[in-house]
Amino acid sequence: MFEKEIEEFIEKVRTRREFLKMSGKGLAGITVTASVLNLIGCTKEEPTSTEVPTGAAAFVIPKGLIVSQPNRCTGCQRCEMVCTVANDGKVHPYVSRVKIARNFNYGSEMTDNYRNENGYFGNFLMTPETCRQCEDAKCAAACPADAISQNEATGAWTVDENKCVGCGACVQACPWNMPTIDPETGKSTKCILCGECAENCITGSLSLIPWEKLEAMLRRRGYRLS
Amino acid sequence: MANITGWTGKLLRVNLSTGDIKIEDSMKYNKDLIGGAGLGYKVIFDEVPQGTKAFDEANKVVIAVGPLTGTTAPCSGRTNITSLAPANPYHAVTDSHMGGNFGPWMKFAGYDAIIIEGASKSPVWIKIEDDKVSIEDASGLWGKGVIDTTNEINKIMGKEACIAAIGPAGEKMKNLASIVNTVNHSAGGHGGVLGSKNLKAIGVKGTGAVHIADGKNRDWLDLNKYMLGEIIGANNNHVVPSTPQTWAEYHSAGSRWTAQTALFWGAANPPVETGECPPGDLNKVGLRTQKAIFDLGEVAEERTIKMGGCYSCPIRCQSNLHVPELEKYGLTPYATSTCINFSTPGTAMLNGYSDGENKGEVALITKCLGSRLADDYGVWSNYGQLHRDFRYAYNSGKLKEVLPKEEWDSIDWSLMESGDPGWMLEFYNNLIADGEFSHLLDGPYELDKRWNLGKDYWTGSGNNVWSKMAYPKHHSNEAGAQVGALINTFFNRDCNNHSHMNFIGAGLPIELLKEIAGEVWGSPDALDAPKNYTPMNEYKAKFAKWSIDRNMLHDSITLCNWVWPMTVSPSKSRNYRGDLALEAKFYSLATGIEMSEEELDLQAERITNLHRALTVRDMNTIDMRNEHDTIPEWVFDVDPDMKPFTEGTVKLDRDDMQLALTMLYKEYGWDEKTGAPTRETLERLGLKDIADELDSLNLLP
Repeated sequence: MFEKEIEEFIEKVRTRREFLKMSGKGLAGITVTASVLNLIGCTKEEPTSTEVPTGAAAFVIPKGLIVSQPNRCTGCQRCEMVCTVANDGKVHPYVSRVKIARNFNYGSEMTDNYRNENGYFGNFLMTPETCRQCEDAKCAAACPADAISQNEATGAWTVDENKCVGCGACVQACPWNMPTIDPETGKSTKCILCGECAENCITGSLSLIPWEKLEAMLRRRGYRLS
Repeated sequence: MANITGWTGKLLRVNLSTGDIKIEDSMKYNKDLIGGAGLGYKVIFDEVPQGTKAFDEANKVVIAVGPLTGTTAPCSGRTNITSLAPANPYHAVTDSHMGGNFGPWMKFAGYDAIIIEGASKSPVWIKIEDDKVSIEDASGLWGKGVIDTTNEINKIMGKEACIAAIGPAGEKMKNLASIVNTVNHSAGGHGGVLGSKNLKAIGVKGTGAVHIADGKNRDWLDLNKYMLGEIIGANNNHVVPSTPQTWAEYHSAGSRWTAQTALFWGAANPPVETGECPPGDLNKVGLRTQKAIFDLGEVAEERTIKMGGCYSCPIRCQSNLHVPELEKYGLTPYATSTCINFSTPGTAMLNGYSDGENKGEVALITKCLGSRLADDYGVWSNYGQLHRDFRYAYNSGKLKEVLPKEEWDSIDWSLMESGDPGWMLEFYNNLIADGEFSHLLDGPYELDKRWNLGKDYWTGSGNNVWSKMAYPKHHSNEAGAQVGALINTFFNRDCNNHSHMNFIGAGLPIELLKEIAGEVWGSPDALDAPKNYTPMNEYKAKFAKWSIDRNMLHDSITLCNWVWPMTVSPSKSRNYRGDLALEAKFYSLATGIEMSEEELDLQAERITNLHRALTVRDMNTIDMRNEHDTIPEWVFDVDPDMKPFTEGTVKLDRDDMQLALTMLYKEYGWDEKTGAPTRETLERLGLKDIADELDSLNLLP
């Protein structure tokens, strides 16, 4: 079963990397199991057959693989700050392209059972969210100004600030409410896969594995990425 | 200032008597006083008349942060609260401090500070959503704990809002009550002041930005990387690991840098290995401090879900645990430390724990239960003194004497006697009930007046009361001899000062620390080896003054003085030197105002003087030496068979400490006889208006 998980994972990464190189189509995140995390060196624990899903995910970007591991997130929220300093020249978590603050207190939704559920008021767990870079991007489809298109170099759905009219159609269209209209500029913000959040994550909850390192890791375990 | 960055430039003033809500310019304070505590002292000095008591309607509460809050500067998530303190015999001004998310949220809503004045006739809470501010009815919240209160307000404001609230202790205007945000981030000593104003909570959320200087974003990220890569250590800026490690030249068993190979956050899914976290690896800084095993022992490893901490802080010093045993006591199976760690509640277990272990499972369950209750009830431990006061009153027989028989008989003492964690429920429930027992929350001064605790209470070693100002020692004579003792005399509550302690306890060999002390304070003699003290000298006075001023700087700018300042680093390549200009570097890039280390230290000195002037006014005397800066007898009487300045004792000498006070006053330019600020010094620091006011009250030396 682990073998199948691992082969599926490698196949997905391979395909997405190829797509990225060619046209940048189809970059949705990949769910990552404990056995895959173990494979790519994100945990030393040997997985067991009873291991429940970890909620970890991987994103293919030009620099390599971004891996998100909720079990390592301490809620410092530096990723939101770093994102906006790097991309907007200010600290503005509200428009951050990676979002953790909104999941900090109660997880993705607040229920009457909050003391037992995700969030700092419950079991302390919280998951950073970012753009899924959907194959069929609803934000781009909904944009009346054609301001969202896939960047050729990165493959990321990217907002053209010159075209964006700040109408918020993308915010409404996104199933996860990831794009945000910056109240200061009136422009939409969304993830461009720059990797700054992962580079500056203090526990490696968001981590960037460069392609070279990933290939070496896989090779050591008897797998090949290309 | 046309283009304000770092600060928001605005403060919010809410009058609960009249219902008036105003937005004002904050820069008239921030320019010379940085923000946070600096702004707080100035507002209290200008607006709260001499003779006002903490629970009077005329007292004000200033919640303020500085230009670094909400900016990514490491360890900038703290919020400073300034007000008169009910536990202080003179109700002199103090700061209380909380971490968590509140201060940054305030900035994102657009405010450097919130000034709360007046008092409401009925319970209210304040709702802040950017520039929409309203006073809301809190009658349905009165009586609730902090967590339920927060949740009710989150239902109204949305789940991302940050709520600072008081619990039953604050509502009942207990002197030892806290203001708590985000579960367990508490500010001690001003909860009752909110209670006196009928203010249950403040909820805040914002959609705004905190700007840094134009075009400086890459410099800003680089400065963060430099600090995280080369300069910062672990909790309390301990810069060596607690165990021998492949990369480390030194290690020290007492270090809070507990990360090591095969040590885990054991209850994470999958478990997270802390591993070795050498300097240079930015992505491991947050793993360095496995605080659960430091506080609770090895038994805590498998229960550790993760480390928590404040907004923007890479040093996670709070531990979040899975403790299913808590369900037996009506709680959820999740626990986290109070702001000062897990240890305090355990002091109330006078007979130890039922399994006989100090760091076993029963101790862990007990401390987790007590921590949860203290934070939910909004009880402030007075840096642990509350529990020592209980111990003293119980062991001396005083408690049985003062409690009415019916009340005494209603308490299930067998829980304490048998070392059962359930004693925590009994202890905290009685603290917030209305019986005689609850007067433990009066704090040492009022408690002694009421229960007549006797001379031993104040002078006995081990009880830790520092002075008649009614606060306990906090890194005092055992921390740098005269340096720690001087710092402990200065404040109006426990000094909460780690500028000196972080350096002394960093874990580096004493020879190296002395060398660095020489570079920073002018001579290696500024620092003595532990328990091997020498008589007072001017370099120790400089060290003490610098420690106080940096603490003032951190409470104003706002940075965490539990990690800052960066006197040392873990980097062998830097020969373990830190970077004491880092605050100024961050200030310059955030505000766009070029600031040197020396200039910023001068601003801090101004704030220290403002605090001192306020204390003189609050106490209505200039005789700080005899009325305020007192030192407990136990400092001089400990180890009766040993002489001061001999190896093996922390004992100090009475005459030497009077000399130490004189030398500190001299460093500050204060009157050497009384320790009060002089007109000349106040004017040198641009505080002529303060000098004039003191003059008019006949309070200048």
